[in-house]
Amino acid sequence: MKRRARRGAATPRGAATLTLLATLAAACGIEERAPQVPGSTLRATVVDPDGDGTLERGPAERLVDRTDLAPRGRGATREVARLGQLTDSHVRDEESPARVPFLDRLGPPVTSTFRPQEAVSPQVLTAAVRSLNAERPQAVLVTGDLLDNAQRNELDQLLAVLAGGPVDPNSGGGGYRGVQAASNPDGSFYRPSVDAPRHRGVLNRAQEQFFSPGLRAPWYAALGNHDLLVQGELAPSPRTDAIATGDEALFTFAPELRGTLDDLPRSDEATPDLRDVPPEEIERLLERGVPGRETRVAPDAARRSVSARELVRRLRAAGTPAPPGDRLDYVADLGPRLRVVVLDTVNREGGAEGVLLPAQVRFLARALRRAGTQSVVVVDHHGLDRTRGGDAALRLLDADRRVVAELSGDTHRHAIRPRRTRAGGFWQITTASLADWPQQGRMVRLVEGPDGSRALETWTVDHAGGLDGQDLAGFGRRMAFLDAQGGRPQRFAGARRDRNARLWLPPRRP
Amino acid sequence: MTVVRARAVTKTFGTGRAARTVLRGADLDVAAGELVAVVGRSGSGKSTLLHVLAGLDRADSGTIEIAGGRVDGVRDAKLTALRARAIGFVFQFFHLVPELTGEENVLLPTRVGSPLTARGSANGSLRRAHELIDRLDLRDVARSLPHELSGGEQQRFAIARALVNDPPVVLADEPIGNLDPVSGAVVLSLLRGVADEGRAVAMVTHQPEAAAIADRVVRLEDGRLVG
Amino acid sequence: MRRGRTLLAAAIVFAAALVAGTALTAAVSLSGGFERAADRADLPDLIVRFDATARGDVERRLAALPNVETTRYRTEFNGVWLQGGGGRATNGAVHAVEPGRRGYAIARGRDLRGSGETVVEAGVAREWGLEPGDTLSIAGGRLRIVGVSISPDNVAYPLAKAPRVYVDRRDLGRIGDDVNLALAWLRDPARADVTLAQARAVSFGLDDLRFITRDGVRVLIGQAAGIVIALLVAFSLVAVTTAGIMLGASARSEVARRLPSIGVQRAVGFSRASVVREQAARGALLAAPAAAVGLAAGALAMRGAAERLLAALNEIGPGAGLLWWLAGAWLAIVALVAAASAWPAWSATREPIAALLRGGELAVGKRPRRWLRPRPTSPSPPHNAGNRRLSTVSRIVSALGGGGGGLGALGARLASARRVRWAATVAVLGAASATLVLLLALASLLVSLRDDPGTVGKTYALTANLPPSAVAEVERIPGVAKAAERTAVEASAAFSLGQPLRLVGFARGAEDFEAPPLAEGRRRRAADEAEVGVGLADALGLRPGSRLAVALPGGREGRFRVAGVVRALENDGRIAYVREDRLDALGASGNTVVAVRLERGADRAAVGRGLGALGARPSEAAAATTRNRGFLGVLATVLRIVAVTVALVCLVVLAQALVLTARERRPTLALLRTVGAGRASIARVLAGACAAVLVPAALLGVAVEVLVLGPAVASLAAGYAGLSLAPTAGHLALAAGALAALGAAAVAVVARRVEREAVVAGLREEA
Repeated sequence: MKRRARRGAATPRGAATLTLLATLAAACGIEERAPQVPGSTLRATVVDPDGDGTLERGPAERLVDRTDLAPRGRGATREVARLGQLTDSHVRDEESPARVPFLDRLGPPVTSTFRPQEAVSPQVLTAAVRSLNAERPQAVLVTGDLLDNAQRNELDQLLAVLAGGPVDPNSGGGGYRGVQAASNPDGSFYRPSVDAPRHRGVLNRAQEQFFSPGLRAPWYAALGNHDLLVQGELAPSPRTDAIATGDEALFTFAPELRGTLDDLPRSDEATPDLRDVPPEEIERLLERGVPGRETRVAPDAARRSVSARELVRRLRAAGTPAPPGDRLDYVADLGPRLRVVVLDTVNREGGAEGVLLPAQVRFLARALRRAGTQSVVVVDHHGLDRTRGGDAALRLLDADRRVVAELSGDTHRHAIRPRRTRAGGFWQITTASLADWPQQGRMVRLVEGPDGSRALETWTVDHAGGLDGQDLAGFGRRMAFLDAQGGRPQRFAGARRDRNARLWLPPRRP
Repeated sequence: MTVVRARAVTKTFGTGRAARTVLRGADLDVAAGELVAVVGRSGSGKSTLLHVLAGLDRADSGTIEIAGGRVDGVRDAKLTALRARAIGFVFQFFHLVPELTGEENVLLPTRVGSPLTARGSANGSLRRAHELIDRLDLRDVARSLPHELSGGEQQRFAIARALVNDPPVVLADEPIGNLDPVSGAVVLSLLRGVADEGRAVAMVTHQPEAAAIADRVVRLEDGRLVG
Repeated sequence: MRRGRTLLAAAIVFAAALVAGTALTAAVSLSGGFERAADRADLPDLIVRFDATARGDVERRLAALPNVETTRYRTEFNGVWLQGGGGRATNGAVHAVEPGRRGYAIARGRDLRGSGETVVEAGVAREWGLEPGDTLSIAGGRLRIVGVSISPDNVAYPLAKAPRVYVDRRDLGRIGDDVNLALAWLRDPARADVTLAQARAVSFGLDDLRFITRDGVRVLIGQAAGIVIALLVAFSLVAVTTAGIMLGASARSEVARRLPSIGVQRAVGFSRASVVREQAARGALLAAPAAAVGLAAGALAMRGAAERLLAALNEIGPGAGLLWWLAGAWLAIVALVAAASAWPAWSATREPIAALLRGGELAVGKRPRRWLRPRPTSPSPPHNAGNRRLSTVSRIVSALGGGGGGLGALGARLASARRVRWAATVAVLGAASATLVLLLALASLLVSLRDDPGTVGKTYALTANLPPSAVAEVERIPGVAKAAERTAVEASAAFSLGQPLRLVGFARGAEDFEAPPLAEGRRRRAADEAEVGVGLADALGLRPGSRLAVALPGGREGRFRVAGVVRALENDGRIAYVREDRLDALGASGNTVVAVRLERGADRAAVGRGLGALGARPSEAAAATTRNRGFLGVLATVLRIVAVTVALVCLVVLAQALVLTARERRPTLALLRTVGAGRASIARVLAGACAAVLVPAALLGVAVEVLVLGPAVASLAAGYAGLSLAPTAGHLALAAGALAALGAAAVAVVARRVEREAVVAGLREEA
């Protein structure tokens, strides 16, 4: 222990104080504010270059040419269409009783039941909206799992964010009441006031009303399992509604629960969903009045589940050209050059897997027939090759030269795969979520060259949250990065070729 | 009765070429009641003679006896006891302790050594001290510090100090060398009185008026005492 | 004479440098020992222990954590029979390691390479006399020792109870894939707490989990001896300061001594600057060799003891790095002496040259100071000897020398006439006496650390297995100050069911029976509050204000608010202190004993017999440090070295002060001898002078120790224990006796010197 000797009064105190403050600031790990806000990764990326867990501004990622389907053309310069994609935002009412966050610590397959950044989902989505607006897409595709628990108040928040206007993220009583509170003795949950990195007051700030600019471009939604099913698994019922709108919540883990949980099927492979857990198990856990200490919460009627019909109706009111009914299959033409076909793959019976009905295949066929000279992009949540009944749809797409891409989400992982077909082939693009790291959206741009060559240029877009983690969206990204059960260890960011690439397409036949 | 007896005292300072022999077989006798003045050129070694007599310096050779006690070749402890008992010394520069009052300076010899060597009881010394102070007309300035006193007063205190233990021998080294004539005369008459009381007084001086009060004047020449 | 003075001045520099060398070696060696060892051994930033689990399972969890650079795994076997060299043990710890980063350093020999090899820990090698090449029996099998390691994640055997050896995993093929110890190195160790928070989130299913960060290891090692080391390091700072004061005072008085020659130089025409330069150069020339020798001597004297202390803690000495420190100290000493010579020379040359030639003091003239002068009074009755109206201070100073107007009083007045020099000497001696008193208090504290558990927050000395109803009877035993019920319940954390912990409850009003030092927060007050150990806080992520939920045997769950985090050693720190009636209300039953606090100075054996009469077998409460004789012996040596050094300092300073006084007052002393003062009388005068310096110095020293040094040093080590470094009456008596003895020695030496001189030499000076 060394003590600095005192010097005479001649030392300017101001300089010493400033130095001390600067040193303290550096020691506290306050990251310097990036001069520019994160956004398109063609300009700059958000990376952890030294592997110490802190995010910094990184270099731009140029497009990688992918010639799996066609060789490189020359000068593909004319922009045919410019789309944005946001997926798996999981706008969440984290204070709802109809949740099972205590399962999270078990590891796979239930690691998605709790995320340390779960309280700031609408703020993250709003930041993504901001950065996507800056890319000036012609239209934005929001490809499912928009909500997290099929709750009506979640839908209210989502629509407010996408459409623009005041957003009220709170539910129940005022302030935050949930598993991340400092008074929760359970150290398995990240409690921002208690656990490192400490962010005091962030949970209450996350319940405050804020303003969203809304998407400037017209936006089109596809449905995911979390939009219609409780915890993405369970078809809503009066029983689940009673729990959701009730005044008792189970935040804490009870010893007796361990025996119950031991019955759950375990796997080594982590999935972003309760995929392998039978819905009945979830139902049992939710309904049984699970052993454990119940916490009194303020009931909120807005937590009831939203029916498919209601969801479709409200999306239609927000601009999605959905047909009447409770399914969200539709076509959106973006000018004379691009047709977007949206398919609804949610299994209304329950279960996280996608399902495609024969009627929907027929709808797809009709849509393709009427496409004329337009290029076609198919949009769905699960990805047709992971959807039961999707093979039939894929056969249709394989045969059609006009199909250039399929956009999907659900896996929370960036992946771009070429699908080689007799007709030339198309690209299957999956985009990572806003719920987990890397919390990115995507831009897709169809370009053509004078020699007839075509390509899809795609790049990822970071949301506008600050790198220092001081604003709520930035905090969300920071915790998503640190989450040991989240997108970083599961490598959801994919390889470079899955993010920013120029996907060459077979040239248009004259 | 001879109280001071010195025979063949020699003393040399320095070595080699710088050697200076100031006493070359000096002999001196002083009887009780006698005042002997030792005169000589300055630097001739008069003070050295007194120092050697009192044992303040060691002679190279010779014998010295003071009041029945040997001075040469004697251990320092016995020497100091002899001094306490038998010798009163008066210096040219008074040598009063600056931190002590005149009275305390006078009492200084009563404090040193063991009680056995001090003549009389402690109370006796105190009484004698006050008597001396009164006799020497120092009552008014007894509580003053030396730097507040005139030269004459300081020297009178020194004399009182020299006498407080009632020594049989008093040695005075240029006692009026630092005083004005008036004070000097007073001091000289005091010394005369001291001798008249029956003590043996040896005084070193280069001033003729000092020699005038002596019973006998000896001259230190070439290391020997003449006269 | 001149050579003697020069030697004396050099002796002072030597003594100061000796103190500085000793203190510097102690401080540099001990304070950085853990960091050096941890760096060299590549100590992991996070060590995790758990019940045996498949390696893949643990790897999956740890690999997902942020900021992790590397992970390695070991399997630790305890209770293994070991025999080798001159020693054996039945509680050996065998660590089966895998290739890659190891987390220990090889001190001798080499690391494991093939099969049939083992590496033993340095403490074991030392105690059992093992060297690379020897054979070690492990659980009946024989392995060849290829290396000796330093493992800074624990103290060395035998301070650590279990001897530790390393073997290659592949040698123990039958252990399969299970591991129970994980080592993690982080890219940014400063953000270990972020990694730890995520580790908690993925640790469900790992039983008996314990996290230790590198900082936590430092605390653990520190607990073993940190109190002592902290005290020694703090004490070294004090010693160095003392040395500095001494040097400054000594240099100053050296210049004072040389004033006449300075006067001559000035008279001859030297400029002020050249005079100052010469004095500074003289001081530096004098100091340079003396300081070098003193520093070297101090370093050598302390080095062995410091090395042994470090080895016991599995820490590493500074090696050649110490030389840089010593070189720096040498420069500092020389510079200090030069400066301390230059400055008074500078201020002295302001004086008129005549004053300098007279040998005039740095103070003007020979006038005694006002406060020493007796106030002139009106003529009083001449025979009333006692009626002296001396000023109060003069009276006190005289009293120091032995009352009245005696020789002692004269000596006291002579010493204090030069006020500045007197004050400087008093300051130096005061610092030295404060150091001496501190040393004595330290020594007692170290003894009590060994014997008295109070220093780790346990203020009870014995426990007896008696029912709670016996508390009143126990308190009636003579020698018992207070008794209280202590209940310990083995439970586990409610949400991390593999996380065991111990709840300890004391009855209300007896919270202070067991209060380990606070690391964070405050003591518990309300009924539902708890103090948790650091080990538990790390494992569960607890901070002041958090909630602790405990699953009690019997099925109920208890909830407590964490009021503070304490450094508890028991149960690896996985312990929580709560109110006993809360445990009762929760229906928790555990092991209940009666804790007995003894009165000060009570006879432990007698109380033990009293407890036995009630039907109990009393046992002693565990204390802070080990009873290991070797370890404590090293500490005692260290203290002794420093004590001798400080005593030497005192002696030299005292002698110097007396010599200077004698020299300056040569005329007065010569006069005294003229009027018949023999050796005894001169000694009385010098004793008075000595007392005038020693007594205020002693008082100052005690005051400084009690008010400043003791609390400062104690607060530095307060993280470890509740300490008091206030001296007892015994300490003060001992210190006073030591100082008196030193004073007497100084007086004797100087009186002899004075006496050997011819009287006339002193008389001549005034002429």
